[in-house]
Amino acid sequence: MVLAGPPGHHPDPSGASLTGIDDPSIPRVAGGVGAWGLPPEITEETARFWQAAQEGELLIERCVACGFEIFPPRGVCRSCGSRLVEWFQVCGPGVVYSCTVNHQVWAPDMKVPFGLALVEFPGHPSFRVLGHVAPEDLTALEIGTEVDLVFLPGPTGLRIPGFRPRGEERSK
Amino acid sequence: MTERPEDQVVISGLGQSAVGRRLPRSGFQLTLDAIQKAVSDSGLALDAVDGLATYPGLTVRVLPGFVGPDIYEIQDALGLRLGWHIATPQGAGQLAPLMAAVLAIAGGFAQHVVAFRTITEASGQRLSGRAGIGKGMEMAEGPLAWLLPVGALSAANWAALYAARHMHAYGTTKEQLGWLATTQRSHAAKNPAAILREPLTMEEYLAARPISTPLSLLDCDIPVDGATAIVLSRRDAVVDPERAVRIEAMGGALRHRPLWEQWDDLTTMAAHDAAAQLWSRTDLTPSDVDIAQLYDGFSIFTLMWLEAFGFCPPGESGPYVEGGERIGLSGELPLNTWGGQLSGGRLHGWGFLAEAVQQLRGEAGARQIPDAEVAAVGVGGGPVAGALLLAR
Repeated sequence: MVLAGPPGHHPDPSGASLTGIDDPSIPRVAGGVGAWGLPPEITEETARFWQAAQEGELLIERCVACGFEIFPPRGVCRSCGSRLVEWFQVCGPGVVYSCTVNHQVWAPDMKVPFGLALVEFPGHPSFRVLGHVAPEDLTALEIGTEVDLVFLPGPTGLRIPGFRPRGEERSK
Repeated sequence: MTERPEDQVVISGLGQSAVGRRLPRSGFQLTLDAIQKAVSDSGLALDAVDGLATYPGLTVRVLPGFVGPDIYEIQDALGLRLGWHIATPQGAGQLAPLMAAVLAIAGGFAQHVVAFRTITEASGQRLSGRAGIGKGMEMAEGPLAWLLPVGALSAANWAALYAARHMHAYGTTKEQLGWLATTQRSHAAKNPAAILREPLTMEEYLAARPISTPLSLLDCDIPVDGATAIVLSRRDAVVDPERAVRIEAMGGALRHRPLWEQWDDLTTMAAHDAAAQLWSRTDLTPSDVDIAQLYDGFSIFTLMWLEAFGFCPPGESGPYVEGGERIGLSGELPLNTWGGQLSGGRLHGWGFLAEAVQQLRGEAGARQIPDAEVAAVGVGGGPVAGALLLAR
């Protein structure tokens, strides 16, 4: 079978048009914590990821031939070169590999402080996910902390990856 | 074995424009100043120049004032007839045009290449303060698509993730970063062209406001306007061989994932790949190096460059700089002798190159390191790096 575009990027049933930030197939919510940021360009490679993110799911590519996990999505296996990839869901919890609290206002209307967590998922050593951490969760944010994956309202109302420390340390 | 490209090319000229906060001149005019000085310094006539190279050239304006002049406009303005030219928004960091020029000259495409880097970020940020990446852009493309949408709008955020990991893994401290800032400031006091020349105490360093933890204001370089140019010449075509600076070795390897957040081990950078390649191309070793000029867009990068070059074992750069004596002007390894970008100004890597050339020629004035013969130059941060070993 000849596939249009990179094999493995199975056509989305919703018939997503890949028109970038105004892609109508990707639902928006009211602007939230990262409303001042820039939305991602949505491409043939990344549309499925962002669609799933809107539904609260973290989808990662996996090579059908060798099982290697690929993120950011590329439509090709970095390990064996196969173009046949599939999507699977990663749930967490994750573990903070590194983190920072941003205090500088880099854009108009940016609310500070907020956190950024670079998170690894046990059993998935080939990628990390960078996510937003809300102000009320900063006290528990440190390397090694277990975190839950959340999807927070971001630029243009697109939901973006975020993390929330587990346990009782959360302050309100 | 065929002669290495490095052996066939020397740095024959150096020129720098005025460097300052918000200069009343365009980046284009600053560039012309730097190029004319560099060509004059090389002893060549302008019409001998047959190659032109820059970083980055026409590309996405990720920050106001980040992108220097278009290479074709400079060629046209100076009436150059070029055998070879390039602009390198991607490559071995800000040193990529220099490295490409070495290969081009060794390959016979040109004899005298002018390479330059111009930046006007001080003027660029004038009205709005330091902006995040993407100001004026509609959406985050390519690798930025995984950084900007979640709020990581600045390289300070990206660098902070490396700093936090280095501290976690090795016990590196904020005070150790502070020894870089304070020692480099003492060097800047002896550099008339530096931006910040007043002494900086550890207390003042530690009291600076946080930018992105663990990095604070004085861990970040200071935006300036300025242009730096060098002339690279075929070794047998230089006018004044006595002042020529040799290129002992260069490296720009990139052997790991080229993304800030996916780089395999955030206690290392592309610097490690670049420096390893550099050492594979020379018989010299780190103990042969007299001075080091190591990029400090953020202070943590300099610590990691020290480890990348092998001046100290992995994880020991913090203790290495502690107290400041070892990296002082009369220390074992004088480091960032012009003040670095933290105090000398963010010339985006090319201030380190200029300083290495001046030191090796014995033209560094009050901050001259006696008998400096070998200089290590490392430029870049995170997944971006180029490394040079220069010698006289």
